[in-house]
Amino acid sequence: MRRLASYLLSRLPLEYRVLCRQFLMRVVDLEALSIEADIPQFLGQFAGVAIMLSFVHSVIAWAYFAPMSPTDRFAFACHFEQYLIATMMLAVGVFVVISWDAVFPDRRDMMVLSPLPVSSRTILFSKLAASGGILGLEILTLNALSGLVWPFVLGVPAGWVEGFLRTLAAWWLTLITASLFMFSSALAIQGFGALLLPRRLYMRFSALVQVAAFAAILSVYFLQGTLTSPAALADAQNQRLLASSPSFWFFALFNQVRGVLPPELAWVARRAWVALGLSLSGGLISLLLCYLRAMKKIAEEPDLLPAKSGSHWAPSLGGRLQSMVTLFSLRTLLRSRHHRVILAFYLSIVFALALSATRHAIAAGHPRAFSNELPYVTNLMMVLSVIGFRKVYSVPISLTANWVLRTTQLNPSVEFVAAARNTLLLFAVVPVWIVSAALGLSFRPLSMVAGHLVMLALIGVILVDLSLIRFHKVPFTCSLLPGSTNFQLVFWAGLAGYVLLALFEISCEMPALRNPHLYAWLLGTLTVMAAGLWAFNRHEAKSAVLYFEETPDEVLTTLHLLMPPPAAVASNRR
Amino acid sequence: MLELRRVSKHYSGIAVVDDVSFSARPGEVTGYLGPNGSGKSTTIKMITGLIEITLGHILFEGKSISDDPIAYRRRMGYVPEEPYLYNHLSGVEYLTMVAQLRNMPARIATTRIDGLLRLLALYDDRHASIAGYSKGMRQKILIAAALMHDPQLVLLDEPFSGLDVGSALMLRSLIQALAQRGKVVLFSSHELDTVERICSRVVILHRGKLVADDTIVRLRSLMELPTLEGIFSQLAVEQDTDSMARQIADLIHA
Repeated sequence: MRRLASYLLSRLPLEYRVLCRQFLMRVVDLEALSIEADIPQFLGQFAGVAIMLSFVHSVIAWAYFAPMSPTDRFAFACHFEQYLIATMMLAVGVFVVISWDAVFPDRRDMMVLSPLPVSSRTILFSKLAASGGILGLEILTLNALSGLVWPFVLGVPAGWVEGFLRTLAAWWLTLITASLFMFSSALAIQGFGALLLPRRLYMRFSALVQVAAFAAILSVYFLQGTLTSPAALADAQNQRLLASSPSFWFFALFNQVRGVLPPELAWVARRAWVALGLSLSGGLISLLLCYLRAMKKIAEEPDLLPAKSGSHWAPSLGGRLQSMVTLFSLRTLLRSRHHRVILAFYLSIVFALALSATRHAIAAGHPRAFSNELPYVTNLMMVLSVIGFRKVYSVPISLTANWVLRTTQLNPSVEFVAAARNTLLLFAVVPVWIVSAALGLSFRPLSMVAGHLVMLALIGVILVDLSLIRFHKVPFTCSLLPGSTNFQLVFWAGLAGYVLLALFEISCEMPALRNPHLYAWLLGTLTVMAAGLWAFNRHEAKSAVLYFEETPDEVLTTLHLLMPPPAAVASNRR
Repeated sequence: MLELRRVSKHYSGIAVVDDVSFSARPGEVTGYLGPNGSGKSTTIKMITGLIEITLGHILFEGKSISDDPIAYRRRMGYVPEEPYLYNHLSGVEYLTMVAQLRNMPARIATTRIDGLLRLLALYDDRHASIAGYSKGMRQKILIAAALMHDPQLVLLDEPFSGLDVGSALMLRSLIQALAQRGKVVLFSSHELDTVERICSRVVILHRGKLVADDTIVRLRSLMELPTLEGIFSQLAVEQDTDSMARQIADLIHA
């Protein structure tokens, strides 16, 4: 088998093989991940998570569904099947976002490959093969176990051939078609955008659509309704959901291929086929046209267009240093795709939570009695917002450009740290608090809502100060690259800790909102906590030296062959 | 005056800069020369405070630069060898950021930034992202950022890199004008012709060690060589350059 693969690969043109290998490592949007990230390691981690998820799904399928009678299994399986398909589509959606633009020619390809004797066709096929390879790997790993266990649990009672093999084929066909639908839909959007818009406008449009797609994929996954039984599927009230949700279309397709789809739901499966056809043809046509037309556009694009019409916005935001840190952070968040994509992940969940609460309020039609729903939703929003912003704070925009901050550091470190804190409060806490206040308008009595909002503000301040313990850095300038530290461990432990803290606060807050004495005690406790953390961070920052975690020169000059002397590392860290 | 006293920098026990002492005086342009890898940029980075000294002392106006680094940075302007900038900012945004970091009053900063951008022919592109700038434009941004606070010590590491002829001529005159106004200018370059024209004295480094520190006139007479190029070749170039060139031509032709 290996020999056959080697033989087949060796029959391919050399340039195709070389390009395919190069593009394979570039499928992941370097700008969206990190220019210095270790892509094979990242893909390995990704595959590990997918296999783990597959294992969990298999255990659920085996332990929960296998003991059921065929009738019960058929009744209860709808929800799980639709969940598995939706999760697969979510995973492919995340892949689509982080590999955004990977199949299309870019300026770097033009500059590097144009002078070489390589045809556009070779570039196109190499890029498609690279993206397809990673997509295939994702489908395979995410369903490595569940892709066998689930068809086994579902199909074997109906016999090995008619039951298991048919279910197995139907399941994998569904997974592949659902993945292709997601992938080619993204290609079609990008491709037609590139063809219809001027190149510069497209670059902006593409970055915005990438983030919007991420938000949409996450929102749909978290917010779409679920149908838990065949009766619910047939219910006239749910036809709108079936008509609008792609995961239900492919769920119907699966059951159609298995031969168990009720005839009245055939139209849902038909939607899947039509959507697949449209997205595949749209993706392919736009891709081909892009390689024919857009490559010329890229080549003709001037290096620099005068931007006379631009404006320079430099408002004073409380001191020069504060203005500098706030504007630098804002511009980084607005202009760096890498930071936007990471942040979009967290803010999408915040957005989904807010949307979910709004949906309930709209459904109720009138103000509801204050319950723990508002504190749960808003506290979680606050946690995710602070965590999201704090995480992107640690992702450097350009390590090599940091020299300017080091040679112009005229203010004490404590002022830089204070500016970073204020910026985090401004970006992460204030918007969530405003949204929470707006959500609170649909609850009564308003006095309880106001009481909660005061607590929420304090929780926000505490979370910010907790996040910035020993953060003696300028946002977006220090390196905490994937794999370089125990960052992932600290991050997930921190997230879990914050969620627990927020939930604990709610358990104290709910009785306190009905008892003024208890409320005053809780308010005092939280205020003391907030003030204590602020004072601690400020005290630490006074004696701190701003830290730019760059690779020590010793390591660079010795190519990691020699360990730097401890004194040199210590002095560098100082 | 900028003074280096027996300065060394070791990486894993290997001396990259070895026991270097020299001084750069106000009103003079001091050329800092050496082949690739001789330790020029390392020395300049030590002077800026970007990397720490292993041994020795660096003094500016009689005080060690580590005594009061903030006061020292306030008086220093630095053009690095590589034009590393925050590419997501526009030219004017980058300069404003540097002005804010330097605590320059907003009005003065705006006036100087506008003036520098106009004089350096960057005004039309001031709102464009630095990512789209050519190497020369980036170099101009670095020069503007280094000079806008009127520093007393100007450190220039290959400042002519990427500049067009007109800008290079302007910069040459600017360096001389800065020295005439009493500033300490340390200028590192591989362009010997330019160094010969604008520097009053030169310091030559070879394999991390100082091999010459004198005025160009005196070096010429001491070594009985007519040009700085001849002096530099004798002190710091080991290879037979003509032979190497022939070998390369032969290799690619074979």
